Amino acid sequence: MFRVALKMLFGDRGKYLGIVIGIALASVLMINQPGIMISILKTVNGLITDMSGPDLWVMDPMVKSVDDAKPMMDTQMYRVRGVKGVAWALPFYRGSQKVRMSNGETVQSVIQGMDDATLIGGPTKLLKGRLEDLRQPDSIIVDKAGAEGRLAKPSAIPGGKSTPLTVGDTLEINDKRAVVVGIAQATQTFASQPTIYTTYTRAKSYATSERKMMTYVLAKTQDGETPEAVARRITKETGLMALTSEEFKAKNLDFMINHTSIIVNFGFVVLVGFIVGAAVTGQIFYNFTLDNLRHFGVFKAMGTPDSVLRRMILLQALVVGFIGFGLGAGITGLFAYMKADSTDLSMTLNWQLLTASGGAVLFIVLMAALFSIRKVMKLEPAIVFKG
Amino acid sequence: MSDTPAILCNGIKKIYGTGDTQVHALRGVDLEVHPGELLMLVGPSGCGKTTLISIIAGILDQTEGNCSLFGQDLRQLPSTDRVRFRGKHIGFVFQAFNLIPTLTVAENTAIPLLINGENRERALARAAECLKEVGLESKIDALPSQLSGGQQQRVAIARALVHDPKLVVCDEPTSALDHQTGTKVMEILKGLAMDGKRSLVIVTHDARIFEFADRIAHMDDGHIERVEARAAKDN
Repeated sequence: MFRVALKMLFGDRGKYLGIVIGIALASVLMINQPGIMISILKTVNGLITDMSGPDLWVMDPMVKSVDDAKPMMDTQMYRVRGVKGVAWALPFYRGSQKVRMSNGETVQSVIQGMDDATLIGGPTKLLKGRLEDLRQPDSIIVDKAGAEGRLAKPSAIPGGKSTPLTVGDTLEINDKRAVVVGIAQATQTFASQPTIYTTYTRAKSYATSERKMMTYVLAKTQDGETPEAVARRITKETGLMALTSEEFKAKNLDFMINHTSIIVNFGFVVLVGFIVGAAVTGQIFYNFTLDNLRHFGVFKAMGTPDSVLRRMILLQALVVGFIGFGLGAGITGLFAYMKADSTDLSMTLNWQLLTASGGAVLFIVLMAALFSIRKVMKLEPAIVFKG
Repeated sequence: MSDTPAILCNGIKKIYGTGDTQVHALRGVDLEVHPGELLMLVGPSGCGKTTLISIIAGILDQTEGNCSLFGQDLRQLPSTDRVRFRGKHIGFVFQAFNLIPTLTVAENTAIPLLINGENRERALARAAECLKEVGLESKIDALPSQLSGGQQQRVAIARALVHDPKLVVCDEPTSALDHQTGTKVMEILKGLAMDGKRSLVIVTHDARIFEFADRIAHMDDGHIERVEARAAKDN
């Protein structure tokens, strides 16, 4: 009888396609929007993710998120070094500067300055050049997205295609010459500005002179100590805020979720997807059952047990749900794949997202099936004798 | 014809609704149908024919009275057993054919066997045999929409007989067909269904097919007014 149920479903092509497309669209909305949101949230922690050396981040106690730089005096670094359990502590600069390109245009960029001697805090993956090349005069490393995007060399021909910035090219930062010595692969940041890596001293020279220039102290825990314990100790002894990398990531996410409308905006679209999917799918599936009510009456009269009828309807609902969700997830996955190499914001698909959206689709089709089953269970089989 | 009744109804009453809206569809019907017998229920619209065959077929409960099929009072059975009994022992032919439009002729015919848990291949093979008996062997893979009304009713007859039921109930089997097709359908129905053990109860308005009946029960206003024995037409 289950084959009969499927033939009834597939035979009514109009309704079958209507239900499948409804579920597919709902799935696209329910996967795509959270996928983009997760990508955006991941960029919030791009700086921390890319930093493999330190496990502690020390900052001004008033810092709310990674982009909320509140510079400190360089001397604070020495206080951190003096805390028991700290293996090493190094300065780190992160600020924003206008970068002048060859045609005179300026592009707001993020400048990251790492310790001159160790170069800890620099990019971990270089596509061109070497990190050590930063020891050359005026040297900088640019991230790939920036080099191919906003910092790309404009074409000499108006409207022509720009050329990606590469090793040997020069830029101007705050009237100072900067020579590109490397191109780095970096996790995109929320601000999506080009990132320029250089030494701490040079980064400070690009910035307008201020008394406080150091954004973070990057520190490493000694063997035998836990980062959490050392972080608490630094906070207690220096009055600065010290967080482990994971704590810092959580703080950033917490800031984004609680101080921006990102969850509300994306959540609203997901909710609309769910409601539209449930309404469209539920309505068409229920109509499909109503259209076949007489046939279900025939099955009932002929001796089909209610349990079999329930399973037939459930099977129909699950099949359209599975196909619709597969189609929706497939379309979204293809879109994510096509955008994977793009420098624009992409989409993150993970098993949690697919499970959650699959669960939502399952809920929709089960509810649709429930209403249909209720109708069929209440159906009087004597209906079949009415001409 | 055996003396043990296939259908035995005593004092069947059926009331729809309650209070002022009560409708007395059956007002105490007594009826006996023997194995191998073809009984027609005739009467004006609203006289209770359809209600009576619904009760006989076990798809509607009477308000009062007893009705047993082959000695079994269906109301005494748990609902799952009653459904199973219906699936095994009763065949149905409907006025509107009630074929599933998305299933082929063979698949439609095989439905009662599938309901009874028969293997799909064996069910389709048996359906093909039945379709051959009603002269539709060339239409096995056709869809109902590709058949004429008479052909669709022949499929319905094949479907009613495919699982070899003891009782076949037919609701106006010829009313949607022209006289010639109706007669042909009745010849097929009587020829295939009447094997000496099986009983047929046919509800009809169609006086042109009365000649096929062994007995005709005339109903009016919820009663059987008289039962007329006939010398039925042999095929």
